[in-house]
Amino acid sequence: MTVLADVAARPRGSTGRKIGLGLLLVFLVVLPLGTNIEGQTWVTNARLFQFTQMFMLITLASNWNLTGGFTGYVDFGHAVFFGLGAYGTGILMTQQHGIQWPFWAAVLGGAVVAAIFAVLVGFPTLRLKGPYFSIAMLGTFVAMREIIRVTKPVTGGGVGLTLPPYLNRALFYYLTFGLAVLVVSVMWWIRRSEFGSSLIAIREDEVGAEMRGIDTTLHKITAFAIAGFLSGIVGGMWAYQNTFIDPDVVFIESRTVELVMMTMLGGLGTVAGPVVGAATIYWLRDVVWAAFFDWHLIVEGALLIGIVLFVPTGIVGMLGDRSGTSLQRLWGRWLGSRDRPGAGPDPPRAAPPQPQGPQGDAGDEP
Amino acid sequence: MDQFLQAVINGIMLGGFYAAMMLGFSVIWGVMGVINLAHGEFIMVGAYATWVLNKEFGWEPFYALAVVLPLMFVVGYIIQLVLINRIVDQPHLVSLLVTFGLAIIIANAMKLAYSADPRLTETGFAGAWELGNVTVPVTKTVILGVALVIMGSLWAFLHRTKTGKSIRAAAQNKQAARIVGIDIKKIYALTFGICIAITGAAGTLISPTQAVFPFMGPPLTLRAFAITALAGLGSIPGALMGGMVLGLVESLIGIYVSGIGTNLAIVSAFVLLVVVLVTRPQGLFGGLRPMEEAQPL
Amino acid sequence: MTAIATEPLLEGRSVTKRFGGLIAVNDVDFVVYPREIVGLIGPNGSGKTTLFDCLSRVQPIDGGRVFFKGVEITRLKPHRVAHLGMARTFQVIRVYRKLTVLENLLVSRQWRGESLWNQLRPSHPDTEGQARRLIEFLTLEHLTDSPAGTLSGGQRRLLELGMALMPDPDLILLDEAASGVNPTLVETIKDRIRALNTEQGKAFLVVEHDMRFIADMCSRVYVLNYGEKLAEGTPQEVMANEAVIEAYFGA
Repeated sequence: MTVLADVAARPRGSTGRKIGLGLLLVFLVVLPLGTNIEGQTWVTNARLFQFTQMFMLITLASNWNLTGGFTGYVDFGHAVFFGLGAYGTGILMTQQHGIQWPFWAAVLGGAVVAAIFAVLVGFPTLRLKGPYFSIAMLGTFVAMREIIRVTKPVTGGGVGLTLPPYLNRALFYYLTFGLAVLVVSVMWWIRRSEFGSSLIAIREDEVGAEMRGIDTTLHKITAFAIAGFLSGIVGGMWAYQNTFIDPDVVFIESRTVELVMMTMLGGLGTVAGPVVGAATIYWLRDVVWAAFFDWHLIVEGALLIGIVLFVPTGIVGMLGDRSGTSLQRLWGRWLGSRDRPGAGPDPPRAAPPQPQGPQGDAGDEP
Repeated sequence: MDQFLQAVINGIMLGGFYAAMMLGFSVIWGVMGVINLAHGEFIMVGAYATWVLNKEFGWEPFYALAVVLPLMFVVGYIIQLVLINRIVDQPHLVSLLVTFGLAIIIANAMKLAYSADPRLTETGFAGAWELGNVTVPVTKTVILGVALVIMGSLWAFLHRTKTGKSIRAAAQNKQAARIVGIDIKKIYALTFGICIAITGAAGTLISPTQAVFPFMGPPLTLRAFAITALAGLGSIPGALMGGMVLGLVESLIGIYVSGIGTNLAIVSAFVLLVVVLVTRPQGLFGGLRPMEEAQPL
Repeated sequence: MTAIATEPLLEGRSVTKRFGGLIAVNDVDFVVYPREIVGLIGPNGSGKTTLFDCLSRVQPIDGGRVFFKGVEITRLKPHRVAHLGMARTFQVIRVYRKLTVLENLLVSRQWRGESLWNQLRPSHPDTEGQARRLIEFLTLEHLTDSPAGTLSGGQRRLLELGMALMPDPDLILLDEAASGVNPTLVETIKDRIRALNTEQGKAFLVVEHDMRFIADMCSRVYVLNYGEKLAEGTPQEVMANEAVIEAYFGA
């Protein structure tokens, strides 16, 4: 089972697709004006709020994809950067003794804190491979929640912080929309750049990349810091919009895995994947929430398992795959995953192919 | 000094429990290459089963093992056949996500069934022995004893029985094991069943000392991971040592960094984990198979 | 025989590598001069690949010192060694399977101390031109936009050679560049190596099992056995050496 879609760096974007994308962007830009139209009930402040949430998820999933999808370091604690951004912003905006920073400066401050933390924590953890990195980051995340809880004089501890309220749904809509567009463009740019190719080279064969002259540590840490910074901004915006933060609402364990799920559904390691995945899951969840109120988390867990087992290359990967209709491929995967287990020879190891490491071939030349 | 001694004793008792608690996680990983993020949730299920027997039928919690072990074995065996079989020897990302999904499902199903209220069981093995200025609680002594018996039995099973040897063979070289006629699928189901059984038993052990609630799992999973990193995959003596190290660290921090200590226990587990992973990627004590051989994501 | 009175390009002094109790490379001295093609042969498990891994710094060197272009590289990080102008291919082929052939080459351009900022751009047209010329040189034009994972073993060997050439190195370590490659492609590879050597003056250190390959290409050969240097000399001298014959065919 491969979990990475093959998508070339420079897809030949068809004109139709470009027009579609343009129309979608225009629609999203004018959408908030709909609140002024008399008599319609679809575009409401609640609706704008939903879109705001979706934009944030798109941004977070795209950031996660930079380390998890491109570089191949699956981060189970990415929400720690979101949390640091939220708390950085919250603390700077409510500072009792010093100056209370204006929102924009506080958000930047929080994001810088998140980026610095990414560099500090990245140095030890990005040396770890595979699941060890994932779990170390999960640990970082859990640990940070406890640290925030006990550093009460600064963070408010379990009581939390209340930010100056500012209710303007349209403003948050445009802020998060702009951020999402910016971040997706940045990811698109990175994917086309030499830096982005290097990240993928690291994912595909880190030892080989190092021997071919890529400073892997520098690349990994830079990607991690970029992702941390951008997720920090999201955290700051979220904190201001929510007006209240405490360790339990900011550091929710499921948030990180949600990002993994969204990115995988859309397509790991692609620019469009996190966008498609986040949007799909956000609206799907709305439906699930309404239909199975008590059960919605159970349904989500099942959804996660289903996505991993049956749509491993994600929507973008499936659209790129030209063998048969989507339904046929889904069916094929279902059969495939029923037959595969245990029996027969080992299935080929999925991407990213792991170099056996120099130890592996030392001294046993054929 | 007394305080230090007390912390050491507490740490050893905690460590013994940790060692028994994480064994299932470590053996499943070592044998099947599956990192079971639902590990803590299986402990929680065992703990709830014990609580039900204790509250509804008035059973002594430790005697509940007679029910919990076979029950969890069946649960594990079935989950292996239905779900885990599909992710054996897949990239780690797949097993991490699938078992995380499983963890969400189990935790929320238990919340639906028993609400999120913390539950306590009552044991007859209460009280404490006083040795000088040091207190040795009876409950925790029994827990340590049962934990050691579980570990010993598992060791004996893996090293002295034919099935156990097949499991170890499968862990070391699947192809070779298949060639000599070992039914890998059955071995995996058996392994998972046994591991979930002892994991559930850990739930029984924890229930008299800690409140049982649906979301108690993740910190336990994280500790299991940390100890596995200390111990090496599937190593039982390593598990005992690793458990003790973590237990002592947590207990000493709890005593000397008063007030914030208990909250930071999990932080210490994490710091220990990262330090060990960065400095000794093969674990401190070796194991079933070297860590580097663990599959990539 | 290559009594070129120049500074050595690569020089190893008493290089030693241990794995636990096993000594994989024991006290080996060697020299590669500019514009030379030097062979490194020996039976299975004699430490050739390990020595390569030590030179490209993915394996720590336990004893001795290595100099490249007069710079000591014994403790340098792998990418720093690459920046100095040493490239290599691998016994077990390492290409980036999800990247296209062109991207594989582009990403192998070395970032010799260039700032990250400069890499936040698509490749420079000159780089791309160079990559396309290499693709042509390696006869892979029809595969330019195919993911490397879809190439055959021999084509991947060629691509690896291209990736090693991309940064324009002065020394290339070839680890069994001809193994698992069909005979026609072997001739292509030999041909390309010769051209690179004579036209561009690139030096090669070659691990190879095919003695014809060695005899055709190399001016000097080192023979390793059980991690020790058994013999050195011209291919003819070495192949006539009794100790070498014994090591290969057993007593």
